[in-house]
Amino acid sequence: MSFLQPWLLVGLPLVALPIIIHLINQRRFQTVRWGAMMFLLAAHRMSRGYSRVRQWLILAARTLAIAGLIFAISRPLASGWLGLAAGGSADTTIILLDRSPSMQARSAEGGDSKLDTGRKQLAQTLQTVGSGRWILIESANRTPREIESPAALLDLPDAGPASSSADLPLMLQAAHDYIRNNRTGQTEVWLCSDLQENDWSADSGRWDTLRDAFLELPQGVRFQLLAYPQVSRTNTSVRVTNVRRVNTTDGAELLVSLHIARDANASDKITLPVQFEIEGARSSLNVEVTGPHFDLKDHRIPLERSRQRGWGRVSIPADANPADDDFFFVFDNPPPRRTIIVADDGEAERPLQLVASIAPTLDLKCTAEVLSVEALPTVTWEEIALVLWQAPLPTGKTADTLKSFVERGGQIVFLPPTNPTGDEAFGVKWKNWNTGDDPRPIESWRSDDDLLARTLGGAALPVGQLEVRQYCGLQGEVTKLATLRGGDPLVARVPTKRGGVYFLATTPAPRASSLATSGVVLYAFVQRALATGSAVLSKARQLDGGNPDGEIPTEWSRLTEAGDSISTELAHHRGAYKAEDRLLAVNRSVVEDNAKVLTNAQVAELFGDLDFTQVEDHAGNIDSLIQEIWRLFLITMLIALVLEAALCLPKVNRTPGATT
Amino acid sequence: MISDRQSRSFLDPQVLSRLAGIPLFARRPMQGTVSGRHASPHRGSSVEFAEYRKYVPGDDLRRLDWRAFGRSDRFYVKEFEADTNLRCCLVLDTSGSMGFGSTSPGSKGVTKIEYARRLAGTLGYLATQQGDAVGAACVAKGIVRTLPPRRNAAHLRLVLDLIEEAKPEGETQLVDALHELAETIRQRALIIIISDLFVDPSLLASCFQHLRFRRHDVSVFHLLDPQEISFDFRRPMRFVDMEGGPSIFAEPNDIIDRYTKAVQQYLVDLKKVVLDSAIDYQRISMDEDYEQALVRFLVGRAQSKGLR
Repeated sequence: MSFLQPWLLVGLPLVALPIIIHLINQRRFQTVRWGAMMFLLAAHRMSRGYSRVRQWLILAARTLAIAGLIFAISRPLASGWLGLAAGGSADTTIILLDRSPSMQARSAEGGDSKLDTGRKQLAQTLQTVGSGRWILIESANRTPREIESPAALLDLPDAGPASSSADLPLMLQAAHDYIRNNRTGQTEVWLCSDLQENDWSADSGRWDTLRDAFLELPQGVRFQLLAYPQVSRTNTSVRVTNVRRVNTTDGAELLVSLHIARDANASDKITLPVQFEIEGARSSLNVEVTGPHFDLKDHRIPLERSRQRGWGRVSIPADANPADDDFFFVFDNPPPRRTIIVADDGEAERPLQLVASIAPTLDLKCTAEVLSVEALPTVTWEEIALVLWQAPLPTGKTADTLKSFVERGGQIVFLPPTNPTGDEAFGVKWKNWNTGDDPRPIESWRSDDDLLARTLGGAALPVGQLEVRQYCGLQGEVTKLATLRGGDPLVARVPTKRGGVYFLATTPAPRASSLATSGVVLYAFVQRALATGSAVLSKARQLDGGNPDGEIPTEWSRLTEAGDSISTELAHHRGAYKAEDRLLAVNRSVVEDNAKVLTNAQVAELFGDLDFTQVEDHAGNIDSLIQEIWRLFLITMLIALVLEAALCLPKVNRTPGATT
Repeated sequence: MISDRQSRSFLDPQVLSRLAGIPLFARRPMQGTVSGRHASPHRGSSVEFAEYRKYVPGDDLRRLDWRAFGRSDRFYVKEFEADTNLRCCLVLDTSGSMGFGSTSPGSKGVTKIEYARRLAGTLGYLATQQGDAVGAACVAKGIVRTLPPRRNAAHLRLVLDLIEEAKPEGETQLVDALHELAETIRQRALIIIISDLFVDPSLLASCFQHLRFRRHDVSVFHLLDPQEISFDFRRPMRFVDMEGGPSIFAEPNDIIDRYTKAVQQYLVDLKKVVLDSAIDYQRISMDEDYEQALVRFLVGRAQSKGLR
């Protein structure tokens, strides 16, 4: 039990008042010389047991009455949140609200989602607890904003469900910055989340920094976590993995690939009706799903030949989490994949031009143009997807042009020049060539992500079979994607906000490596970079919720039915949008389909020495987390007073005189 | 005598003059030394016929009933009741508890010992006035003081002195004292016990029976203060035993029921003892005027006169 006015509990010693008064009263007795002691002794013997019990009962009732009064005015709360008992209502209360798609899951009985339940619980609880100021930091925008009262959580459009993932460390960082900048008094941070692993980034090193930062705050911060970690075992999600428009002899078709996921332990066979909606025209397909995963490849949907672009949606029947029951997509003729090659080595230039100009599918057009550095100002950069740079690192205006290209989302792969100059680009510079008689084997490479990842079929690229006879060392801050024996990087990536900057430490020249002769790795490497770069140029873009990737959401217009989201929030709501001549589909990110949640021990470890309390709730819970129970104590006090009065009442049937 | 009456605070001349008209009778035959107004176990020369008895040689021929001889041709002697004086022994309980007197309005601020003095003094005076011998005994922890019965006025002064000087102190050993009196008073007597009788009724029964066995006429004035019965206290009280026993702290409201129950039980037991012992029992509440109590006592005895 906790109290809203705990300082009033200092009055608890007053419960001893009846006992003190009783003792004083006993001291104030009258003395009388008495003759009929034989009757008094007899009466005393008879009444000794009951009298003592009655006396104790009266004292207990009086004590209880005072205790009840003190407890009542201390405004007790019925809950297990002992953390509240420390100091009553806070000066500032910061609410961190996880609006991610997983928070829209409902309980097995239906009813409210985790997010709705959390908002209601927060509104009720915080209204009861009280605070001087209410600050909301929701997972979509992560910008602290003051709200009038906790009840506003129920009405605010930007406190509702979103399709963007949450980043709890960033939200906490925003809370910390607010506390530090505004020098708040006693502060409470209330978190409402489903503890999903990807939202919490438990492995991130940011937690250590956050813990230290909060511990350094002079005013002390209490954390209250309202968690909804229950995972529905009956939920099914759908995700479109690929959409292509192809021309046929009769017209055109849309090839839609999708992935259906169920609980990891699901083994039964179900028939799932999948509905496809293309520009409002609907069709459906029953698929039989056995096991936790199902992939549908290139489901053909006829299109009018004249329809070159458009939007669509795939949906399955509503289940525990409606946020993952549909998926939007947009389609358009793919833009030509244009590559610019700048090379000072002819042996390297030719293989690069080949891999960049051979399209993986017939409907794609790939071109690779070899240019000199001096010709670069004439390039229409808005149409370029990839730059392959096998020349001394650019400097001056050329370097600025390439930076702008990368910031727009373009991809650059730097290969070592014939003669490294020591110039620096993107914080990295080439060192000297390393040449050996024997090929240097590949020690390791990242097959889970980025350009050297496994294929869609799960097969690993034969990176290990490459022979690297000459390679150039790298100097600068890079992320290694593949390393040679000895630790020198073969493929490295420079961290950038947008776009991609890669360094390949060797060239496809036959004297340097076997990249050209066994060209699978080089082809996949270049085509993946090209696909990523061209995706930015495409007129139909698939975006993750909350990541507009350079687009300006306020300029978007909704193609699907109107939702209740405001224009600044469009990037956080799934749907199909139009921005100028581009079509955009916003959906939840892939990581949102990961149903793993943090354990309580993991959460406790994240908060470490911080003043932290966690309570687990469940979606659809209508019982308030805390309730003021002062009435109960008042009733207890009244009962105690009535009991005391009854015990103190003189006997009505007393005999005034004994006559026989 | 007049000077005595004026000097004794416990004697009211007006009460004495009003009660003088009511004789004090014994309920049982007395063996006095002189002629008096009380029945005697012996035949005498009073005017009240008792019985006929067959003549035996040696009888006074003057007492032969010649008329009876004429009717039956047998000699009968006509006998009459003898009237004699009585020996009155006033037993005054002077234990500590007799010093109690409540201050409640009905009690008139009189302690039991003062009330007992008035009763004893008045009865002693009345008895002496009608020619009976009066003695007195103060009992507390045994017999404290005693005066044998005498029938002269000078002895009355001594009796009144003894009554006046009686002080309530010490614990009660009334039962032992009464047994001792039963043994020491040799001739039949009217024994008037004035006490609060705060002893076990079963023990009282034995000493009453002892007195009755010794052919004494036993009368008891049982003095009870109204507050001792009603137990009318409000605040926590510390009750100090007037006879030197341990004090008791009590919340009156807590124990009044059981106190009243104990009093009731005591009175029931005492009544049974009184009935079994056939003694003249007068329960006196201290708020009752002692003259009324004496009138009731004297009239009651007058009405039962003649029981032999």
